Amino acid sequence: MFGYYMRLALLSFRRTPGLTVLMVLAVAAGISVCVMSLTLYHAISGNPIWWKSHQLYAVTMDSWDPERPHDDKHPDLAPPQLTYKDATYLAQSKIPTHRTVMFKTAGVVSADSGGPKADPYTVVTRVTTGDFFTMFDVPFQYGHGWNAAADEGPEPVVVISKEVNDKFFGGENSVGRTLRWNDRAFRVIGVLDFWQPAPKFYDLNNGTFDAPENVYLPFRWGETLELEAHGNVNCWKPENLTTFKQFLNSECVWVQMWVELPDSASRERMQTFMDSYWDEQHKVGRFPRKRNNRLTDVDQWLLDQHVVQSDNRVLVGLAFAFLAVCLINTVGLLLAKFLNGAALAGVRRALGASRRALFMQHMVEVGLIALSGAILGLGLAWLGLRGVRALSATATVFNKAGIQALAHIDATSLISAIVLALVATFVAGLYPAWRIGRVSPAVYLKNQ
Amino acid sequence: MNIPFRPILSALLRNRTGALLVAIQISIALAVLVNAVYIVKQRVDKMNRPTGIDDQNIFVVSSTGFARDFDYNASLREDLDYLRGIPGVISAVAVNAVPLSGGGSSNGIGKVPHQPARSEDGNYFTIDEHGLETLGLRLIAGRNFRPDEILPPPNSVQNYVAPQVILTKSLADALFPQGDALGKTIYDVDDHPSTIIGIADRMMGSWVWYDQPDYVFFMPYLPTGPSVRYLVRTQPGQRDAIMRVAETHLSASNPRRAINWVRSLELFKKNSYLADRNMGVFLTTVTTLLLAITSLGIFGLATFNVSTRTKQIGTRRAVGARRRDIVSYFLVENWLITTGGIVVGCMLALAVGYWLASEYHLPRVDLFYLVGGVLILWGIGTLAAWQPARRAAKVSPALATRTA
Repeated sequence: MFGYYMRLALLSFRRTPGLTVLMVLAVAAGISVCVMSLTLYHAISGNPIWWKSHQLYAVTMDSWDPERPHDDKHPDLAPPQLTYKDATYLAQSKIPTHRTVMFKTAGVVSADSGGPKADPYTVVTRVTTGDFFTMFDVPFQYGHGWNAAADEGPEPVVVISKEVNDKFFGGENSVGRTLRWNDRAFRVIGVLDFWQPAPKFYDLNNGTFDAPENVYLPFRWGETLELEAHGNVNCWKPENLTTFKQFLNSECVWVQMWVELPDSASRERMQTFMDSYWDEQHKVGRFPRKRNNRLTDVDQWLLDQHVVQSDNRVLVGLAFAFLAVCLINTVGLLLAKFLNGAALAGVRRALGASRRALFMQHMVEVGLIALSGAILGLGLAWLGLRGVRALSATATVFNKAGIQALAHIDATSLISAIVLALVATFVAGLYPAWRIGRVSPAVYLKNQ
Repeated sequence: MNIPFRPILSALLRNRTGALLVAIQISIALAVLVNAVYIVKQRVDKMNRPTGIDDQNIFVVSSTGFARDFDYNASLREDLDYLRGIPGVISAVAVNAVPLSGGGSSNGIGKVPHQPARSEDGNYFTIDEHGLETLGLRLIAGRNFRPDEILPPPNSVQNYVAPQVILTKSLADALFPQGDALGKTIYDVDDHPSTIIGIADRMMGSWVWYDQPDYVFFMPYLPTGPSVRYLVRTQPGQRDAIMRVAETHLSASNPRRAINWVRSLELFKKNSYLADRNMGVFLTTVTTLLLAITSLGIFGLATFNVSTRTKQIGTRRAVGARRRDIVSYFLVENWLITTGGIVVGCMLALAVGYWLASEYHLPRVDLFYLVGGVLILWGIGTLAAWQPARRAAKVSPALATRTA
């Protein structure tokens, strides 16, 4: 029966080629716009470490000015970063299975004498404790990260990105080789694989969609080399800050901290630990504001830090309005097309075809249109996303990760797009196919 | 002309579904069109705000000294002498941050000491006596920095206000609404005093998205090394050529530092507005497509109506209806459907506009846009029904005499 319905559908398409093409185009347009917006939205609002979202917590404590909140628009939130003294104290806790304190700086990488030649250039550098790589599931191409001893030493070891490895070592396994960072020799112990979490959840300051850093140094180098933070450094208290030591001891917030807490028990213990630290410090005159110590998981963190801008939700709303119009259009066109062939349907009914059979026959026709529309729509979406990427060419100069993520539609979006296309068009076809089954054969037979 | 609304309406009501579907499409299309155009207009206005500086003829050089024997101050002097000496360069300056780039520094300044709550956050740039000329910024009142006032690079952890500052007009007016800022003393959050020696015209600072992007002031410091950015302003049309020359020379001039990049200020500006531009292009494309699909829907329905009523048309023609009566019949029928959709669409457009306004703090959509949207949809509706109506008029009266 199915083969016969297919033949009937093809015949019907041949009878009204213009209308058929219109329908396929309408479905394709709706699908492509919808897939494009959802891909865009996905790329900018996704949680790049969703599988660990409820184990990773950003640590914040409100150490801000008693006179006003850190963010006037969100007075309930603590500053997103910690002071150096608080971060280093909290990092000593053994409650979390892993802990990371870190900040962003910049330095010039250059080849060691005797090494391969490459022009020196400034790289964004993360000064972090070694748990960073384990906690955030950072993929390594060669080697590995460092241990706590290397952090404290600090040992002259470095982890570099694939990009830096390609530039200075031609992409070879460079573990054990030497690279100079700000004219100081560091031993390469790890080379990262391609890794572009978007948004850059672990440090959303100065560029939510910036690519991750190119070079990673053990945390204590920050103090040893007096490295300046290149992220936000926010201060509120009038303090005499002439030396680096005074700066480290100040109320300025500039260090990001994350902990990995596997269960709610460890979470509660960590919270208690923070609260008792707060009490102790409060007694000696610090933390002048109301107690606000927070452990925030990744999902909530992305919401709190307003990663998804209102713009993007407008886009998704628009996409669905567009899809709705395309589908209503398809319902209208299908109805017109089917009723146009009502006389034929009447004859088939008179010859004994059941309503069910007529319904099925027309649903096969709908299915063919849905399938062609979906395939064409995906093709259009792919072209459209390339267009978006071309429009955003300047962003690649500035090393934004989110745009790179648009380069490909991944398997999940592909499957959901096909499902969306088929379901939507089938739903659109239900009413017209049902309606055609209701024609009374007598009317059409009489007229012939 | 006598238009028979009654029979049109009753024919329409007998065949509701198709008409209803088209009307729904039209209402959604109207709601989207009105709000999309309104949002795009706001974005375009935002992108077209004057920057106040000569952004088309400025380029930026980023240099970082990394060798341990790198002499920052000597390199600063050499680089600036070189850049200022290139034929076609109007002026050059070393700065702490690049305007329009999204990166910069700010400091709270107020007119009363010990009053942080009454201060304004100013986006500051450290420049020397060539700074204003390099930006192409006019001094409205007072004087420029003198060469002997330019201070050595400040320690990186302190950001005290310098003893003299130049404020842009916007910031000066915010602090001194009476317009008497010149010569007054201001204080930073650590209560260091500073005298306002000049007022410059308004310009946009580092952050284009900021509520007050033009709260900018200048301090006479050389920037802190060993990483520095130079702004270079060239004669119109010579920017790109000079960029290449400067990059080649500077990259080779000192092996103790790296030239990270040489970029036009235009590129920074473009990147800062990228999200707005993409939003604009996306909304425009989707809205255009939406209108195209809607007009296809109208066209499809009209074609269907004409084809199912061929016999009636023939009969009407046979009993004396003129061609234009047939055309007007279908146009009026279509107009009724379109108008129905438009009425609902107006309400939908206002509801969406209201929702956007309350949810995202956008200004409420202007009624002017609604009127425009209604006119556009009426136009599209009539155009889309035009061809089917003309075809209907060609139906021969003889058809009435045939069966089926």
